[in-house]
Amino acid sequence: MSSSVYYRFRSQLEPSRVTFDGTGITVFEMKREIILANELGDGTQFELKLYNADTNQELDDDTTIIPRSSSVIAVRGPPVRPKHGTAVRYVSGSMKFFQKYSSKQ
Amino acid sequence: MTVVETSDGEVLEFIALGGGNEVGRSCHIIKYNGKTIMLDAGVHPAHTGLACLPFYDEFDMSTIDILLISHFHLDHAASLPYVMQHTAFKGRVFMTHPTKAIYRWLLSDFVRVSSITPRSSNAAPVLFTDSDLQQSFDKIEPIDYHSTIDVDGVRFTAYHAGHVLGAAMYFIELGGLKLLFTGDYSREEDRHLSAAEVPPESPDVLICESTFGTAVHLPRREKESQLMSIISSVIDRGGRVLLPTFALGRAQELLLVVNDYWKSHKSIQNTPVYFASNLAKKALTVYQTYTSMMNESIRKQFRDAQSNPFHFQYIKSLRSLDSFFDAGPCVMIASPGMLQSGTSRELLERWAPDNRNAVIITGYSVEGTLAKDIVSEPLQIPSMRDSSVLIPRRCMVEEISFAAHVDYKHNSEFIDLVKPKHIILVHGESSPMGRLKSALLSKYNSLKGTEQEIKIYNPRDCEILQIPFKAPKPAKVVGI
Ligand SMILES: [Zn+2]
Ligand SMILES: [Zn+2]
Repeated sequence: MSSSVYYRFRSQLEPSRVTFDGTGITVFEMKREIILANELGDGTQFELKLYNADTNQELDDDTTIIPRSSSVIAVRGPPVRPKHGTAVRYVSGSMKFFQKYSSKQ
Repeated sequence: MTVVETSDGEVLEFIALGGGNEVGRSCHIIKYNGKTIMLDAGVHPAHTGLACLPFYDEFDMSTIDILLISHFHLDHAASLPYVMQHTAFKGRVFMTHPTKAIYRWLLSDFVRVSSITPRSSNAAPVLFTDSDLQQSFDKIEPIDYHSTIDVDGVRFTAYHAGHVLGAAMYFIELGGLKLLFTGDYSREEDRHLSAAEVPPESPDVLICESTFGTAVHLPRREKESQLMSIISSVIDRGGRVLLPTFALGRAQELLLVVNDYWKSHKSIQNTPVYFASNLAKKALTVYQTYTSMMNESIRKQFRDAQSNPFHFQYIKSLRSLDSFFDAGPCVMIASPGMLQSGTSRELLERWAPDNRNAVIITGYSVEGTLAKDIVSEPLQIPSMRDSSVLIPRRCMVEEISFAAHVDYKHNSEFIDLVKPKHIILVHGESSPMGRLKSALLSKYNSLKGTEQEIKIYNPRDCEILQIPFKAPKPAKVVGI
């Protein structure tokens, strides 16, 4: 049986959802699904942030699991460095790669 | 998070949600004295899906009182149905009459073209549908040039901006502060439009386009003869000429130039000229309706000859390439202007391998589009259907700009006439915008530290610019 997590871009009225198998989805996978579903491109031109819809806490750790049936708010902002948006890693990078990368920080 | 608290009326806040250090998705917010105005709601031509939108997530859309659209180009108007139907925006929307008339045709074409693009199975939302467009259309309030509208104490007036039919500059007064937003503008009269006007009053703040930075254009007549000499030499050697152009606006100017040349050069008259646009016929009526807003020469032709100057004797209109018999030299004016997809792209891919052919870029090309890339004469171009397939490019590539944006000379002359105290640069890629800023700073260097000092800003998208004002203003009311 497939599960869903709901998301809404902060400026949007209507929510959309991402479906997956299992009890939760990582922030990394969630961002990747949102980028692909909305054809946001290669990720170099923006940053994508997710917030817990109830607490407004930013979900800034890619390994955090978002439980199924919950809701998040997505915010697409300009790249911190022009043309070098970090969202690129959700499109090209693998989860493993990112974990290694983040543990170094 | 960059959602900003309402200012206390003495600080002007300016935020570009798009068009800050870029060309595309023009959208700027000004906040002053408890009022919030949005200028333009465009899309970015080089980006797909929701990524083409201005950064609407970064602003509380429900706080906007008024949205003014400068002109019908997609980079200024194409996300308007999205804003009106899919966000918390509940303000009033204004644009000039001709802008509204053309906007309708353009946006329904935009919906049609964007829904052809294959979408991923996870049901990617299209930006907006035909019914979103219909439902929002009647809520747009059309305005006349030179008549001042007052919305709860915010007063604004549209002035002619040149550029394209219906393009407006907005002179805005709120809480004692005066601003002028140029939109895209041109100070050179062309074949059908007058030059932009200089508003009668000086603004405190000028929000100014900077597309061409410090570049200086050739005079129009010289550009026209350059264009025609390239076209005739390509035809002489048996080649085909492709002129990619956006269907409405600058296309009509090009059609006037080409048709006029054909009329006066008998030897070339057996070479066909095509305008491939399914908007062409509808556009013809709009252009006919609004000849009164064009320059004196068009109005005169219309009056004296009782004819539509936009009915072109030597140009055949093509609804699609299915009815095009591709045999021998011809001139093809086809959209889109930046070769992203569609008819112009299809013909480019067909004609690029033959070195007798030519593609001439006459518009402004946004970074990230094929029109921008092809000017550097790559040996191969990617196929539209499958970007891993490369097509040899042997055709000639030329660039002659008829884009109708001010060059440095006209922009700085205009700034001198307008005499603003603050200049916010928008609608320009970082480098030309930066060069323009430096040129203006050194030009006004002697005023530094004096009463007449002119401050210049070039904010990036979503960077919050705050300018304090001591300007006279009505009694401060807290909590509006
Ligand atoms: Zn324009
Ligand atoms: Zn523009």
